[in-house]
Amino acid sequence: MANIEKYNQAFIETLEVTEDKLATLKYHDVEAWDSVGHMTLMAALEDAFDIMMETEDIVDFSSYEKGKEILKKYGVDL
Amino acid sequence: MEWISERRPAEGERTMVISGCNRGIGRAIVEKFIGERYHVIACVREADDVFRGWLSELSQRENVGCAICQLDLSSEESISKAVKDIVSSKVKLDVLINNAGVVTKGLLQMTSIQSIKDTFQVNFFGHVQLTQGLIRMFIRQKGGVILNMCSVGGMDAYPAYVSYGCSKAAMIYFTKTMSQELAPYGVRVNGIAPSMTDTRMREQMGEEANEEILRRTAMKRVAEPSEVANLAYYLASSESSFITGQIVRIDGGM
Ligand SMILES: NC(=O)c1ccc[n+]([C@@H]2O[C@H](COP(=O)([O-])OP(=O)(O)OC[C@H]3O[C@@H](n4cnc5c(N)ncnc54)[C@H](OP(=O)(O)O)[C@@H]3O)[C@@H](O)[C@H]2O)c1
Repeated sequence: MANIEKYNQAFIETLEVTEDKLATLKYHDVEAWDSVGHMTLMAALEDAFDIMMETEDIVDFSSYEKGKEILKKYGVDL
Repeated sequence: MEWISERRPAEGERTMVISGCNRGIGRAIVEKFIGERYHVIACVREADDVFRGWLSELSQRENVGCAICQLDLSSEESISKAVKDIVSSKVKLDVLINNAGVVTKGLLQMTSIQSIKDTFQVNFFGHVQLTQGLIRMFIRQKGGVILNMCSVGGMDAYPAYVSYGCSKAAMIYFTKTMSQELAPYGVRVNGIAPSMTDTRMREQMGEEANEEILRRTAMKRVAEPSEVANLAYYLASSESSFITGQIVRIDGGM
């Protein structure tokens, strides 16, 4: 699976959103992306890309787009 | 992190991580959990030959996996490294026991702020950092148990234990808050608050403190480390499946 597919899949599965909503999706936009959903999403991404994010990056991860920038730091190109 | 056994945790088997287990209460907990067929990741500042020999013998006797992970709670770097080692080992963690601790004595007027900070680093911030790093594993697998070694010293006041008592009170609040934050992921968090227990820490506390505690204790004796270990095992097991956010005193009636 391509990286972008894995990335999208993590959002779709943990936040129960459809792919067409992803591009503009931000923290708290949907009910499932609350603090509990956030940690589940972070865990899913760490699992998918075999990385370990720093706490600051988990805090900064405020949107679908911002997340792409953050994952770049961990060598994940999307 | 270094496995000292050939054996590794297999699917469906249980693994626990514990800090400060080369002696005292931590050592008794390791013995109890290995006896109950837990695999163990033993986090210690220094693993000497005696400790290695003891752990290796236990792991062979019970046919469980044991790993040693270097961890100095006074160093953020060491904690980060331990977290990375444990997470990347890909072992499924069932239990984390934040056990290591130091005791410092001194009236407030005689205690430097630096010494209070040093005590807090080991007894509180170090555990917070380790927990923050490892809970991602529990969140991912949607379950687990965290036990924090608190103390009656974090609840009852004793003169000259301001830094120790405050650091343990912080652990108590941390335990309660984490239990709320982690409940949605199926993770239980509890604290154990022993009174005087027969370890090196007891010796360090001196005769006066020992006498005062015995005076306040209905059962007129101190706890054995194995008694604290039995409580830890209960709180880690599914027998306590509806207990979270509690600080359980083990104090012989105070
Ligand atoms: N004994 C009591 O009366 C009593 C009562 C209430 C609560 N407790 C709590 O129970 C826990 C265990 O204490 P214990 O009675 O078993 O005391 P202990 O025999 O003195 O053992 C303390 C353990 O903590 C480790 N430790 C100390 N500083 C550390 C650091 N910077 N990094 C990593 N590990 C470190 C020690 O390792 P080293 O060998 O490397 O120093 C040792 O393994 C502590 O949290 C203590 O506060 C004890």
